[in-house]
Amino acid sequence: MIRIDNLVKRVPTSEGELVILKGISLQIDAAETVAIVGASGSGKSTLLGLMAGLDTGSSGDVSLGGHFLSALDEEERAMLRGQLVGFVFQSFQLLPSLTALENVMLPIELKNDSRAREKATQLLTRVGLGERCHHYPNQLSGGEQQRVAIARAFASEARILFADEPTGNLDSATGARVIELLFSLNKEYATTLVLVTHDERLARQCHRTIRLVAGQVVSDELNADVNTQVEVAHEH
Amino acid sequence: MSTELQGTLPAAALARGAVRAEALSASTLLRLSLRLLWRDWQGGELRLLFLALVMAVTSVTGIALFTDRLERALLAESANMLAADRVLSGRGEAPQEWLAEAENRGLRTAMTMSFGSMVFSDNGNVLVSAKAVSTDYPLRGQLVVAEQPFSVGAPIAGGPPPGEVWVESRVLPALGAAIGDTVYVGEAALRVTRVIVQEPDRQQGGMMDNAGPRLMLNTADVPATQVIQVGSRVNYRYLFAGDEAELLAYEEWVDALAAGEFRMTDVREESAEVAEALSRAESFLLLGSLFAVLLAGVAIALTARRYAERHFDYVAILKTLGCTSGQIMSLYLSIQVVLVVIAIVIGSFLGWAIHALILQALSSVIPIVLPPAGSSPYVVGSLTAFICLLSFALPPLLSLRKTSPLRVLRKDLDDNTLSARLPYGIGFAGALVLMLWYSQDVLLTAILVLAVAGVVLVLSALSWWLLRSSTSVGMKAGSAWKLAMSATRRRRKQNTLQVLVFSLTIMCLLVLSLLRTDLVEDWQAQIPENTPNHFLMNVTVEQVAGIETFFRGNGVEPNQFFPMMSAGITRINGETPRPRWYDDDTDEGEQNSVTERAGEQSGAGAAAEGEEGEDGRRRVSNRQVTWTSQLPRDNEIVAGTWWGDDPRPGFVSLEDDYAERLGAQLGDIIEFDVGQGQYIEAQVQSLRSVRWDTMQPNFFVIFSPGTLDGLGGTYLSTALMATEQKVLINELLRQFPTIVVIEIDALIAQIQTIIAQVTSAIELIAYLVLGCGALVLLACVTATLDERFRENAILRTLGAGRMLILSSLCIEFAGIGLIAGLIATLGAEGSLYYLQTQVFQQEFTLHYWAWLAGPLTGMGVIAVLGVMATRRVVNTSPLTVLRHIG
Repeated sequence: MIRIDNLVKRVPTSEGELVILKGISLQIDAAETVAIVGASGSGKSTLLGLMAGLDTGSSGDVSLGGHFLSALDEEERAMLRGQLVGFVFQSFQLLPSLTALENVMLPIELKNDSRAREKATQLLTRVGLGERCHHYPNQLSGGEQQRVAIARAFASEARILFADEPTGNLDSATGARVIELLFSLNKEYATTLVLVTHDERLARQCHRTIRLVAGQVVSDELNADVNTQVEVAHEH
Repeated sequence: MSTELQGTLPAAALARGAVRAEALSASTLLRLSLRLLWRDWQGGELRLLFLALVMAVTSVTGIALFTDRLERALLAESANMLAADRVLSGRGEAPQEWLAEAENRGLRTAMTMSFGSMVFSDNGNVLVSAKAVSTDYPLRGQLVVAEQPFSVGAPIAGGPPPGEVWVESRVLPALGAAIGDTVYVGEAALRVTRVIVQEPDRQQGGMMDNAGPRLMLNTADVPATQVIQVGSRVNYRYLFAGDEAELLAYEEWVDALAAGEFRMTDVREESAEVAEALSRAESFLLLGSLFAVLLAGVAIALTARRYAERHFDYVAILKTLGCTSGQIMSLYLSIQVVLVVIAIVIGSFLGWAIHALILQALSSVIPIVLPPAGSSPYVVGSLTAFICLLSFALPPLLSLRKTSPLRVLRKDLDDNTLSARLPYGIGFAGALVLMLWYSQDVLLTAILVLAVAGVVLVLSALSWWLLRSSTSVGMKAGSAWKLAMSATRRRRKQNTLQVLVFSLTIMCLLVLSLLRTDLVEDWQAQIPENTPNHFLMNVTVEQVAGIETFFRGNGVEPNQFFPMMSAGITRINGETPRPRWYDDDTDEGEQNSVTERAGEQSGAGAAAEGEEGEDGRRRVSNRQVTWTSQLPRDNEIVAGTWWGDDPRPGFVSLEDDYAERLGAQLGDIIEFDVGQGQYIEAQVQSLRSVRWDTMQPNFFVIFSPGTLDGLGGTYLSTALMATEQKVLINELLRQFPTIVVIEIDALIAQIQTIIAQVTSAIELIAYLVLGCGALVLLACVTATLDERFRENAILRTLGAGRMLILSSLCIEFAGIGLIAGLIATLGAEGSLYYLQTQVFQQEFTLHYWAWLAGPLTGMGVIAVLGVMATRRVVNTSPLTVLRHIG
């Protein structure tokens, strides 16, 4: 689903060029859940941005759903995001002037789907906010806002979901409930999930954990527990 | 799975362009934009932008409606002074086919013939200025007549029918006649049937029209009078009225045939005094609406910029959701278009309402009925809104589409997108287009553009330096002061922009208000209260004392008597002069000079222009000249010196423009032909500037006393007589039958009415622009509101008191206002120098009070506005503020 080949990202700074990613290569399969962990400044958010086509690398390439991002311009990458990708951000990134329902309807409307309202209402009910459809983001708590963001991410029927520190702004109990919801929906929709976090416990809930240090992948491991559960589930 | 690549990338990896997305359907786009528009409106983000757009449409439509109707009314009023829209006059009668052609073109025509004549009755006689009029006279304005002399009259359609004459009241006592009596004009016996109370074009044409009371007859009776013989002095005037386009076409047609023998004129050419007032008022109204649009444009640019800044995150999120730049532009464009359309509807209505209110308020000073406005003001207002949107609002919005979606992860990105030069370039180009479109005047536009550009350059450097130098001051003061200073420094970039915008706004307002004051003062000085309204000419030296006694005895204050004679120039330093007006026929002074017109018409000339004397010396530049020891009022020495207390003969003082055209300089010896084969020489001792539009005696050439002794000549004087004193003229003429009295009271009254109207109009425009200026100031204060809100919320969270924050805000804004006011005054004086000397033809003097008022007003207004706009910060809980701002 995602394939990265020798990806490098350099940025100019006042003290010279800074290399944020130093030749990363990896592959993520469909329906896989992958956690990218690392300390602050290790390059994990940059990697997420490049994988999702929010930015372009200095060299190397990313293939997203079979499309080489380096061959696409920003317009085409935007279209690709609309077709393939959903996001959940640490700071929720809801549009403040739209209600919860309108926020969730937006990606559906962008696809010219006439059943936007119906689908969005269903999703909000699914995330437990059926009663708060007409509230604005600033009328919702952090956990509620993140649940709206999750509903929005799944509303576009994305095949790949990118989550950047989804619990970073939440207390641990709320965070846990949000993660439970995220994983549950992910499973339901069989989405590929790429999750950036520094929370080891959260990372362990994914199939794989990729560890970044100073812009390089230092480990890429399967989480035995999760995979065992998957195998058991498959057997059943 | 390891990080190593397993296998190769899919062979079917798609090439560029393989990704396709459907365009947003129109209904989705409209739904989305309306929703965003509604939410942004509710959130208050669009209100100021919308208000700025409405203000632009309102001010432009309002001003355009008002000026359109006022201009039509003023032209109509002015046309009344001509009794027509155009007048054709020349030497002798115009060919009949010219009049037929005018009628073929659908124009209404009439004619008048003016000539001096004695009128007799059984009991007396009087010299009148007779005017024969055709049946359709007057085409514009009203002839007011009464049934009895010295009584109130009523308007009447048309002039006297054949066989009848109408006369001014004082003709009847002079003739010892009454209404219904028969009088003799030449050989014709005509019956007096009415008394003329008001005649629309009484003051037009030659001064001979005003030399004596009016007697009006029908043109059909003229042959019977046998007054007009070969060589008689008759002034033929052909009047035309009708559609402006047809008039212009006809004017062109006549000009081609007239070959200089006849001239078609409108009120601007006929009455220089009115033309001057109208032209200045037009320039002022134009300047006012230019400023209004520019200020509204700045407000739009500022608010759109803020709107765009607040939408960076929005766009980044939309992009992560798959929105393309094209879709984003469509979305924002449709929001703006919807906004503009609503603004046009509301603005047009408000514009109409404002102009109606203004007219209501001014109904006492605009006694005339205004013609209805056309649709063009609404079109102008609507187009302005779109041009403003394209040039001021679109550039910042366009930059939105470049927002990187990565901003959702990194907020620090793209902050500088709006500082690109292109948006400013587009804004400048838009402003230029608007200015040229409105003014149709390259000079005015160039002055404004240069002034603004110069001011921007100076301001950028100066305001940055001033704000920078505030560091040391801030550290020595109390805590609110310190806080304000540090805030000023932190926001140096925005504050420099704010100072620029404030300065330009205050500058516009200062320019308009100073110009308004100067224009009104200038007009008041032009024809002050108690301006003498009668000219006395052809007075002999022996009559002077008698006339003075007569006036004193009848309660009229006699004025200075100027000796006057006609003189032409034959030599300058021994050379034949080659004056420039042979190439260039413009001579403002001569056109404006009541003295010259009067002198020419009263036949005071000793010899004609261009005539050769007995010895072949060619006489050029005929002028009415005088001699006096006192420098007349409205005259100012610009070079050389006026003769002192003991003047010596042999010197002359020339009007400076006249001297320049003549090619004469200080110290030159000029030879004058003073008639009867006599020549005198005089040396140029001074050059004077003369104010020609004051309706008072003024002269191009003044000799030192004694120079023209023994050469004869007559005297000219003026007198102020109220309407009820006018009957004195009969007695005066009876006692001094050779003098000529020229009545200019009607003309003065008409000019004063027009000046009162245009004064009201320009004051009103100044207020409208003031409203636009206030909006800009508000928009500019609001532009940095978010940052102030956030900072102050944090300060309050940390325990800062309400008073501390309010005081620091007050100091910060007052400081910015003070600097802006100072710079604005500098810019205003600079612009005024060029505007007054180049466009308004006024003299420029520094406005000392403005140097105090400008900075102080800037300080006060900006401080009040700033604190009012930001006071919410101390009245809202810090948590709410922080949560709202994010």
